[in-house]
Amino acid sequence: MRALVSCIVFAGVVLGQPSVREEGIPVTDPLVIAKCGTCHTPDEHGNLQRISWERTTPEGWQDALKRMIVVNGVSLSAPEARSIVKYLSTYHGLAPEEAKPVLYDAERLIHEETNVPSENVRRTCTKCHTFARALSWRRSIEDWQQFGDLHAARFHFPPNAEAVAFLSKAAPLHTPEWDAWIASTRNPNLAGRWLLTASIPGRGKFYGEMQVQPAGSTKDDAEFNTSVLLTSVNDGSGILRAGRGVVYGAYAWRGRSKGGQSAGPSPDDLNNEAREVLWIAPDQSSAEGRWFWGQYQEFGFDVKMRRASSGPTLLLVDRSSLKIGSQANRVRLIGDGFPVQVSPADLDFGPGVTVRRIVSNTPREVVAEVDVAPDARLGKHDVALFRSEAPGAIAIYDRVDYIKVVPDSALAAFGDQTRVRGYQQFETIGYQRGADGKPHTADDVELGPLGPLGPNDDVAWSLEVFYSAPGSSADFVGKVSSTGFFTPAVDGAKANFDVWVIATAKTEKGANGKPLVGKSYLVVTVPSYTLNGHRYVRDLDRWVDDGAVQ
Amino acid sequence: MKSLLLVFLAVLIPGSAGAHHGFAQFDTRSVVILKGTVTDFHYVNPHSVVEFDAKDDKGQVESWKGELTSPSHLGPRGWTATTLQPGDEITIGGWRAKNGAPSLWVTKIALANGQELRIDGGN
Repeated sequence: MRALVSCIVFAGVVLGQPSVREEGIPVTDPLVIAKCGTCHTPDEHGNLQRISWERTTPEGWQDALKRMIVVNGVSLSAPEARSIVKYLSTYHGLAPEEAKPVLYDAERLIHEETNVPSENVRRTCTKCHTFARALSWRRSIEDWQQFGDLHAARFHFPPNAEAVAFLSKAAPLHTPEWDAWIASTRNPNLAGRWLLTASIPGRGKFYGEMQVQPAGSTKDDAEFNTSVLLTSVNDGSGILRAGRGVVYGAYAWRGRSKGGQSAGPSPDDLNNEAREVLWIAPDQSSAEGRWFWGQYQEFGFDVKMRRASSGPTLLLVDRSSLKIGSQANRVRLIGDGFPVQVSPADLDFGPGVTVRRIVSNTPREVVAEVDVAPDARLGKHDVALFRSEAPGAIAIYDRVDYIKVVPDSALAAFGDQTRVRGYQQFETIGYQRGADGKPHTADDVELGPLGPLGPNDDVAWSLEVFYSAPGSSADFVGKVSSTGFFTPAVDGAKANFDVWVIATAKTEKGANGKPLVGKSYLVVTVPSYTLNGHRYVRDLDRWVDDGAVQ
Repeated sequence: MKSLLLVFLAVLIPGSAGAHHGFAQFDTRSVVILKGTVTDFHYVNPHSVVEFDAKDDKGQVESWKGELTSPSHLGPRGWTATTLQPGDEITIGGWRAKNGAPSLWVTKIALANGQELRIDGGN
């Protein structure tokens, strides 16, 4: 107790805060009290030591529980562990508004983090993990201090007072968002029909619907079965998927699904089993997230969902851009609940774009022919069908000023005996200068993937290894397909290679009359390496200690 | 794509926590100085890269590549994605690739008006 008091006083002095202990969040679940309360001593208010002064995501609690099992020998059955994670994620979780900014961590998306406050904090926190992992927790000032000391001791680095002070302020235990959320939270009622849009790098846009059915034995289980039908906008191919998910804290969907057919040998086969992470809006009317798979979770669907309604719903438009002065452009508007009768007056593409005629229509698709005036306003236009709107769905442009290869820097990995190769899909996106008249500035307008038939059908792809002689082969590093898919060379490489992945436009030319060219900086890494007796393996964009080499 | 996938590669370095690759492929014993015209600038991880055209001794235009540090190193020194634009005239100094490829590790870079852009070492 004396040590605890000292710690509190120390925290108060260091952080310039009063050394009054913050109110804890009582633990009421009998299983958590029984399993955790022997070490995390309860107090007279129902608080369990440490736990009552912490909140985090399902992944955060799962990691904590794993550590308790591995390090402290906690004995739990799988159902008990699931129950504890569910309780803590719900009653010691994050509010939806707190969880959304760090969702990319759960989605396993590589993301440039620009919110690290200083180089000092960057060195301490982000050398081993994302900054989002730290910001996925909410703690009392005292608990941040305690965590900082223990984390430093465990991973052998000096305690960082600046990091503790920053996190205490940026990620406090008590927030208005959490107070409001926990006061109004309710069981998720997701059953029914949902409309989906999805995009898959290299494959373009998809649309479809998901049927959600309750799967748990009680409503409190918040478990659901799903069946999904997605259709490719580009080629009309369909994919059926079935899965199951659990909703933590009434908004955090975590699930698994797989295709209706066995996945083929291609690593990006859409039938592969995928993990699902979705953020459900507090009003339960929409959701967004990612379904992903692969050694490095490099494959996935970026998904948006909304509940089906009785009225017309415009989900997406097949084209991303239209050129000024062009005529009789065929545009597909895809959605749900479209009326039997549709006239050109029911569609709106904004000023300067005229709907010439309706070519065809079904309850889920309207095909229209549109003309774009030579003086149509350049930039993004909203598209509306009846009263349903797709904001910024079409870009009106006069020329493609430049192209970008995305991602603009990327990772792939050779394989070895234990780790399969890490792949990378590239896309080419066209851009037009914005209102300032200058390309490569913040107001530039994205025109979408290059090529009318698919994301990558109007470019030729090539590779160039850094420091190599012009024209020399890059086959020893890997190959990029005609669709922008990079496959590392045979397994067993012992070195990293830096490579340009180059897209050369087949038809679009620059002001100098030469084809437009875009490049991405790709690093092809070894899958693991050994240093000072420890093996390091790649985890997304970082190397993590995989333990001592035997 | 749901979000622009930008890679924080600066820490992805087998054997070191702060650098993506060393200087072994560059001849650090002498500095090459070139005048050229920027053709492209990639403000990306793990290294930003400036591509530029420069004339060789015979007056022939040769395409060069100059490697810089990461955006997390350059950003606090005033760099942005638009610091260098195609068409900009630059004077650039650095260590040339040992194998003779038209690549160098940039140690100094200045704009046509003489303004030197801060690099402050690093890798």
